Amino acid sequence: MTIDIAFIVTAFFEILTALPLTLTITVVPLIFGLGIGVVTALIRLYKVRVVHQLAEFYVSFLRGTPIVLHVLIIYFAMPKLIDSLSAYFGWSFKSASIPILLFVLTAYSLTAVAYMSEIIRSGILSVPAGQIEAAYAVGMSTPQAVWRIVLPQAFGAILPNLCNLFIGFLHTSTFAFTVSQMELLGKANVVASVNLKFLEAFIAAALIYWGMTIIAERITAFLEKRVTAYSRGGMA
Amino acid sequence: MIHLKNIHKSFGRLNVLNGINLTVERGDVVVILGPSGSGKTTLLRCINFLERPNDGEVTIGALTVDCRHPSRKDILELRRKTAMVFQHYNLFKHKTALENVMEGLIVAQKVPKKEARERSLEMLEKVGLSDKCDHYPSQLSGGQQQRVGIARALALNPELILFDEPTSALDPELVGEVLAVIKTIASEGVTMIVVTHEMGFAREVSNHVVFMDGGVIVEQGTPADIFVDPKEERTRQFLKRITPEWSYPMEALR
Repeated sequence: MTIDIAFIVTAFFEILTALPLTLTITVVPLIFGLGIGVVTALIRLYKVRVVHQLAEFYVSFLRGTPIVLHVLIIYFAMPKLIDSLSAYFGWSFKSASIPILLFVLTAYSLTAVAYMSEIIRSGILSVPAGQIEAAYAVGMSTPQAVWRIVLPQAFGAILPNLCNLFIGFLHTSTFAFTVSQMELLGKANVVASVNLKFLEAFIAAALIYWGMTIIAERITAFLEKRVTAYSRGGMA
Repeated sequence: MIHLKNIHKSFGRLNVLNGINLTVERGDVVVILGPSGSGKTTLLRCINFLERPNDGEVTIGALTVDCRHPSRKDILELRRKTAMVFQHYNLFKHKTALENVMEGLIVAQKVPKKEARERSLEMLEKVGLSDKCDHYPSQLSGGQQQRVGIARALALNPELILFDEPTSALDPELVGEVLAVIKTIASEGVTMIVVTHEMGFAREVSNHVVFMDGGVIVEQGTPADIFVDPKEERTRQFLKRITPEWSYPMEALR
């Protein structure tokens, strides 16, 4: 067996053109998940009536089923739902006019909310009770205390977890290929098939994933240093 | 004037406070003594509703809160009339000393930032920490952290400051600096309720001493009443037990 090193380089740059799509499928759901995840985590922690059971079920179900399944279910169910709604109300709107990417992003976002909410919940729980008591004692309301005191500290605590989740989502974004999204691995498949050089194409793809992961780790280390500067201690 | 009427608090089936009545006049320095588990800290935390009393009434100035049906606004109002100094300081870990003192002013009292900053600097100077403004709590000693805690409470200009065992977590050699600060502000007429085990401090600084046991006030009076001439047997036992060993007569040790 011989490896065509030169082709790895060629493939690398060709596959790299799919990186924006992969990053979109990774980052957009995570941003969405962070926002809604905070709300979900707070609902669960403060046991807000009725909604908290709903949130509990949501998190349990979505974390209890594989992401590729969410992608497939949304991909098959959403168009049917939209079309039947459209027919019922007599709209001229057809699901076929919606880009598939939107279904993919929906599926990943729903999943991201579930995972994020658990990470954020753990971060909030890691903040000592004394911190919120002190906030109350100086006269803050609960929203003020949560926003100004609890969440900033929780964020510092969950940074390593967020990086982990990013890496996880980066790698699971490959499932988008099952619904014909030409992301990194999809592109690698095409490059491989066209040139009949599978190993080289996949090595190139692996290098891209690895590179992205390393960048994510570096960014996290940098953020961690800045965000948690306060806890480094030592008499300065 | 601060008035507590018939305060009850239980945790599940454990009754911690069984009907506490206490009146504190403006400028009073009240010290609460008692064995551990007597409900001192819980009582303190009931005043600003960090613990919610099951029954009774809390009055601070013109505001009276019925503990059975406190509204969210009542609780916030109570907390804005009081400040608390915690046993474990509880400084906001992600904020500098100065930001710790400013935080309540800016967020809760809506004081303009510049004014809050000036007042906070003044308070930090008062507790002798002007040079530590930009330090994070993790960069300060226990005594320094607690002094920031006191500055944070003072800056709010509350009607009442609650001290929850402010020196219990400190190294013995750091206790003095914190007590000295509390003593200074007590002499300036700040109304305070202090839970402490520092008998010398209680004797010297307070004008009213409350002895609690089993969730009730066993005895209260001037420091002289309590320390020199306690009426209740339980008070006498307690005071005897916490008197330092070295002051025991030698015969007692043989």
